[in-house]
Amino acid sequence: MSDTAAPRGKPPIFSKQNLVYQVYRFKNKPEIIIGVLCLAFLSFVVLVPLIQIIKDAFTFQSYDLAYQPDGEVGAFTLFHFDRVFNQPISRALFVKPLINSLKMGFAVTLIAIVVGSSLAWLMVRTNVHFKGVFGAMLVFPYMMPSWVMALAWLSLFKNDRIGGSEGLLTYLTGVQVPDWVAYGYVPIVFTLAMHYYAYTYLLISGALATVDSELEEAGATCGLGKWKRIRIITMPLLMPALGSAVVLTFIRILGTFGTPALLGLPVRFFTFSTQIYASINARNQGDAYVLALVLIVLAISFIWINSRIIGVRKSYVTMTGKGFRKREGDLGKWRWPATIIVILFLCMTVVMPLLLLLWESLTLIPGNYSLSNLTTYFWSGQGNVQLAYGEPGVIHNKGILGALGNSVKLGFMAALFNGALGLLVGYAVVRGRGAKLARWLEGIAFAPYIFPSIALGAIYIGMFSTSIGPIPALYGTFTILVLITVIKNLPFTSRTGIAAMLQIHQSLEETARVQGIGWFRRMFRIIVPLSMSGLVAGMLLTFITAMRELSLIILLISPGNMVLTGVIFGYQEQDMAQHSSAVTLMLVLIIITISVIVRLLSRGAGVGRLNAT
Amino acid sequence: MTMTRSTFLKAIAGSVAAGLFSVAASAVSAQEVSPELQAWLEENALGTNAMVEEDWDDIVARATEEGEVVVYSSSGRIAKLADHFQALYPGITLTLFDLGSVKTIEKTVREQDAGIFNVDVITTGNSGQVIYELLNNGRIFNYVPAHYADRIPEENRDPLLIRVNEAIVFFYNTEANPDGAPISNVWELTQEQFRGRVGIKDPMASGSSLMGLATLVQYPEEMAAAYERLTGEALVLGEGVPDAGFEFVRRLLANDVVIFKSGSKLADAAGAAGQDDAMIAMTNMTYISRNDSKGNVNAIMADLDPVSRMVYPTFMSIGANAPHPNAAKVFIAYLLGNTDLNIDTVLEKPYLEGESFDLLQGLAPYHDAGSVSPRSDVPLPAGGEIWDQMEGWNISAEFMWQQGPKLRDFWLIHSSQ
Repeated sequence: MSDTAAPRGKPPIFSKQNLVYQVYRFKNKPEIIIGVLCLAFLSFVVLVPLIQIIKDAFTFQSYDLAYQPDGEVGAFTLFHFDRVFNQPISRALFVKPLINSLKMGFAVTLIAIVVGSSLAWLMVRTNVHFKGVFGAMLVFPYMMPSWVMALAWLSLFKNDRIGGSEGLLTYLTGVQVPDWVAYGYVPIVFTLAMHYYAYTYLLISGALATVDSELEEAGATCGLGKWKRIRIITMPLLMPALGSAVVLTFIRILGTFGTPALLGLPVRFFTFSTQIYASINARNQGDAYVLALVLIVLAISFIWINSRIIGVRKSYVTMTGKGFRKREGDLGKWRWPATIIVILFLCMTVVMPLLLLLWESLTLIPGNYSLSNLTTYFWSGQGNVQLAYGEPGVIHNKGILGALGNSVKLGFMAALFNGALGLLVGYAVVRGRGAKLARWLEGIAFAPYIFPSIALGAIYIGMFSTSIGPIPALYGTFTILVLITVIKNLPFTSRTGIAAMLQIHQSLEETARVQGIGWFRRMFRIIVPLSMSGLVAGMLLTFITAMRELSLIILLISPGNMVLTGVIFGYQEQDMAQHSSAVTLMLVLIIITISVIVRLLSRGAGVGRLNAT
Repeated sequence: MTMTRSTFLKAIAGSVAAGLFSVAASAVSAQEVSPELQAWLEENALGTNAMVEEDWDDIVARATEEGEVVVYSSSGRIAKLADHFQALYPGITLTLFDLGSVKTIEKTVREQDAGIFNVDVITTGNSGQVIYELLNNGRIFNYVPAHYADRIPEENRDPLLIRVNEAIVFFYNTEANPDGAPISNVWELTQEQFRGRVGIKDPMASGSSLMGLATLVQYPEEMAAAYERLTGEALVLGEGVPDAGFEFVRRLLANDVVIFKSGSKLADAAGAAGQDDAMIAMTNMTYISRNDSKGNVNAIMADLDPVSRMVYPTFMSIGANAPHPNAAKVFIAYLLGNTDLNIDTVLEKPYLEGESFDLLQGLAPYHDAGSVSPRSDVPLPAGGEIWDQMEGWNISAEFMWQQGPKLRDFWLIHSSQ
């Protein structure tokens, strides 16, 4: 093409002049390069499974032969959609469970947000006692599998509907607890809220720690009351973190399975996730994938609403080049009462479930809580064929110790890679805010969150069974476990990455750029340190979740890569209650220890100023 | 077009007959295998090439050369066998994937679709899918060691070798019912006096529980007759319910049956001592052993009209293109137990030690009340002798494949009322 052919003032697309200009433009917009790279990578590891699920939802499965014996397996069909949305079974399969799940999601999110942000405010902005200890302990409930809380609830409140030994309350008072307290909606909402408030707590305390107290003082100077200051100054600044917390909590509740199954079944309270699980369990992929797609659509619209509310406003920036001060409010005469409330809260959510696990692991006959029934055999026994099929106690068990190493390795590697990826995604999304690329990236990074774990694992078998270009066949290796864990948990770090980046003003980076400092140095010297507190929180969530994950990786794991949750699954399946409690307790304690160490280290490394605890 | 529930349920019933024809069709298509697979089958004398006589020493020698056997299992207890097996067959390492029944099938199918042939021995339940999806599609192959063939009744080795038979039964609390079983007919469970006092393991989540329920549904005429024997009246079906089997399920749910997530918790709920209004549990017979391990006071109802035990199988087979086919054969023989074992053998507990282990071999971890070897020459486990006194029905794979999904739909609709 010659220059003359081009319209005046604008060079043609492939002209040297334009190419040079475009290269220059892209070089100065690293977020576009990063965004494109992230999008390409995520498209492969997230979109391919998504397309597979969509394809399977429209494909006649062998399971469907029972309904349509003449059907051809593998052919295109609308049968699943007709069944889930249109046939009479839709009410039981889709409508009622969806309503239950939404009711559950709204209630849990509301309670979790209130509890989580109140606690965050207490820990970051007040002079409540024992902040160091409390701050760390408040995350502990999330480190336990959520069914521990549900089991604790049952042992306290169960009534004669499910028979067997009495619940503690009935045992002590003789009163039969009504069904609605013991099972179904109310206990599910309560126990889940006591588990998932941790998202809000972590995200809000991270964000709150970076809000400059001077802003609030300025409000006070202008004569604003305390509540008005919170409402028009603090709250808006916390919006990105709050939005992330709402999204993470709400969508996780829609997908959560263990607690609704345990507490809902006795009164036939079915949720969306229990229906998906039941369909997958029957290998009825048609139903399972259509229902999963509904969840994905729900989640995406939820994120869309959230990003509409947060919008493209630039007003969330709390980190600028200007002065910063953090001031703790004095609780006055409420200092001790507030402390006691936190202590009681921790007793209920941390101490009691842990004690229950410990006690269960020390009983000779499970469920018998008398003192004469206590034994340390399941911890330190050498293996006695009369007991538990001769399985040796936890500390002598080679299998358990090996699995422990694998779990920790998986948790660490997943957290590390996830942190890096989350930061890049956050950077590309926030700096490119408003552009299509950013919106796509944000959506895709979140999609794995609602994928049914087991389906993702199953699809990865096919995707990584052979080598792809330079990447060797990953199936059967440890790498694929790390990869799938990173992908599944990416929403944590991409949300926290986005929230953290929203708070960092572009001027900080621009200053460095004016001085000719390259992108990598800007990243490591400015962006990473400033977003560290949010990012550490996201990585910690990844670490915890990765350590507790099983259904995601079970199809990909080989015996040499066995993880602790796999060991627990085996014990549960074989009804070895004490072993499973002992290993669960061990898992929880290890997660707790490691996350406390990480917090101490990150504080020591200068992240402390920004770190909530 | 929208359907009412009754026409939907009638459609379910109507397709039963249609389903029967399709089975024959899918069995035919199953014979088509790729040339490579055909060569592998011939080389290893599997599938239609199975031999009546085998050179067992040669198989063991080749197995030792192969050096490993990879097992996908629905049960983790097989892990207990590793040391014993490896001591008996030095040079063959047992690599066990403990996956649960659904994931065992899922992993096998997904791997084979991706061209990965990793597994040698597959052992899992879920009759319908194992026979119709795996066996009939050439994903697994039946193998019965020739020297065991006449020790195993045909129904336990054809079309697929059974590793262990287990049963769903009804438990009652002997303290709360000192005079014996509180019912004599299963239909009593649907009557007012047992409202909310019957527990069942969630059939939507548990394959064995679904198979137990399906076994009752499989015999509608017998169920209808039993109803008449109890009440003296003919059974009246609910609106849109196809037959007496489904009607039993509907009435059970309408009578507020309590759904449990775990079969062992259900056994404990029925059997905990000190209850005066204990529930009746429909659960796996094997949990009767919790009378010893947990102090339960359960007993099994052995004389119910029309049936007392609903038997479901766990199969074992060799995966298509298995990398260690001879080691797979040796391990399957090991899982069947020592040939020195016979019906008069007296086995001493613990079974996982000494001579008992040497005789039982792969049966040892499963030699519990409620589990029965496929062999006709193995004594019943101590505490499980009642098995032979009970009227029993077996679940058919064909029924599970064709009716299982409809029974699930039926359960879902009637449990969500």
